[in-house]
Amino acid sequence: MILDQLVWPLTWVLAALVLGPYLLAVLDGLVARSLGPTRGPGIWLAPLSRGAWWLIQHTNVTEAPDGRAWRLAPALYLALAAGGLALVPWSRTWVATDIATSLVLWGSIEALATVVIFLQGWSANTHLTLVGAYRYVALGLSYILISMFVLIGVALPAESLALTQVITSQQELWNVLRQPLGLPLFLIVGLAITFRGPFNLADSTDLAGGTSADVSGAQRLVWEFARSAMLVAFSGIATTAFLGGWLGPWLPGPLWVAFKMLAVLALLAWLGPAFARITPERCVSLMWVVLLPLAFVDLIWAGVEALL
Amino acid sequence: MNFPLAVDIAFILLALFAVYTGWRVFRTDSMVRASFFLLLSFIAVGAIMLLLSAMYLGVAMFFMMGVEMMVMALFMVMFMMNPAGLNPMMMVHQHRLAIGAGIASFVIVAAMALLARFPHRPLPADLQAVPSLGNELLGESMLIFESVGVVLLATMIGVVVLSSQRGRYGNAGEGSMPPGLEPGGEPAGMPAKDDEEGGGHHHCH
Amino acid sequence: MTLTTVLLLAAALIGIGIYGALSQQSFVMLMMGLELILNGVMLAAVGFWAMSGAGAPEGQLLTIVVMAVMAIEMAMGFALVVAVYRGKQADVTEAIADLRH
Repeated sequence: MILDQLVWPLTWVLAALVLGPYLLAVLDGLVARSLGPTRGPGIWLAPLSRGAWWLIQHTNVTEAPDGRAWRLAPALYLALAAGGLALVPWSRTWVATDIATSLVLWGSIEALATVVIFLQGWSANTHLTLVGAYRYVALGLSYILISMFVLIGVALPAESLALTQVITSQQELWNVLRQPLGLPLFLIVGLAITFRGPFNLADSTDLAGGTSADVSGAQRLVWEFARSAMLVAFSGIATTAFLGGWLGPWLPGPLWVAFKMLAVLALLAWLGPAFARITPERCVSLMWVVLLPLAFVDLIWAGVEALL
Repeated sequence: MNFPLAVDIAFILLALFAVYTGWRVFRTDSMVRASFFLLLSFIAVGAIMLLLSAMYLGVAMFFMMGVEMMVMALFMVMFMMNPAGLNPMMMVHQHRLAIGAGIASFVIVAAMALLARFPHRPLPADLQAVPSLGNELLGESMLIFESVGVVLLATMIGVVVLSSQRGRYGNAGEGSMPPGLEPGGEPAGMPAKDDEEGGGHHHCH
Repeated sequence: MTLTTVLLLAAALIGIGIYGALSQQSFVMLMMGLELILNGVMLAAVGFWAMSGAGAPEGQLLTIVVMAVMAIEMAMGFALVVAVYRGKQADVTEAIADLRH
């Protein structure tokens, strides 16, 4: 009686509850395998096949977008990333753009990235992309200040705004040890500028993709590529500003730069998924109330250290 | 001062770009687009400053104006009835006077540029623009620099006072109405008020 | 690139800016006109610094001061727009014509 009326039905329902979703997930996977490009490729081929998929995917069009800006925004973001990468010194003489104010130029790349990401979200003329763009601007205006103060702290011991001078000033001691607050704060800026992990407010899933919600095809490919490229450029600057750039024993300078950039990238790739996404309001409060004062402390630390 | 040909070509292109984008600011339908056109004009001028070997000022133009125009675009979307710029927009007054004043001021300033004789004293070859600016800011012109800082602080306080929700006449938002759908029209989204007492005649929406 | 051509460009920017500042009804567009004027002023200052002032540091200082003026103009402008919008639900200059009296 009890067995028939309570235990078996309950078991059955629970089994269905557990097995059903599992089977659905397997089915989804099977469908995805038979339709999409996820069949076969290992971790080395997967990015390539996904890129190829985006390239041949049909390009979505929204209702009355600002066509020029919408097409240009991913390309501009990529151009900014390329500009940032050009500032990284690979050795004492091997610098693509060696100007006296390269540190400030990186700061302006960060500022212009905010504009470009807003443009991407705004120009599609749809609701969710605009919300993503707005969130990004709120985030961008917050992290730019943190980044500026941290970078001023790096420029202080170098007594120069040129990145090559910043590296030569780290002969005795790398900035990561000399200014212990600098690199952690700067890594947060790096996650924010490419909206990854906890700071993925612009392209988050609660906005169905946010600024890239309605972007597909080659445009999407360029957008995602530019995001990754910006992170690579950022890791180059972080290496230069905090990890001593080309400095290091035995190996030639460019190899050291490459190793350090890879290490920063690996750290960022781990940091991204390791932390949960923060809601926009709390994220902005965190930036202004906790991180910005910490950046002040970092700058005061650098100033006192430079005076002593 | 003689510049290489590439610099001259770059200057001409940047100058045309700066004027074109500056003109487009007032000829585009969308205010967001207008503020980004203005940003492009600033960037072109900043690049010209770099050509003139003002290394810090040119780069400072990029990041100052990047943030500034971003904020401007935000305010546009906040206040404008037509932020996306899907409808043609021409909101001008005293148009002829403005065109006349613009042309007249261009002619006057251009005449000064063409007719006046300025001494020809180019940059010394060994000048380091960035350290010279820094030494001036924190050296002889320290007072000016500090005054600018104080004025900026006063601006911040004034801005907070002007735009803060609480004023000395009570809550600033109190009694304010949402804008009408057409200029001077009824406030949008407000329920119709029943002025007759005991009307008992309620609309159901 | 000579001093004259730089000044001509500055004159063009100032002219467009004056047109915009006088013709636009919207406060924010009006401020864009003012910014364009200051853009021309900064370019002229740097031009004089580089070609006629023998790199006197005060030339660069003037440009920094103009940048600060720009920031102040924008912050105060937006605060006034917010205040007027709160009171009058308007963002065009005609709406505050009664300030004249």
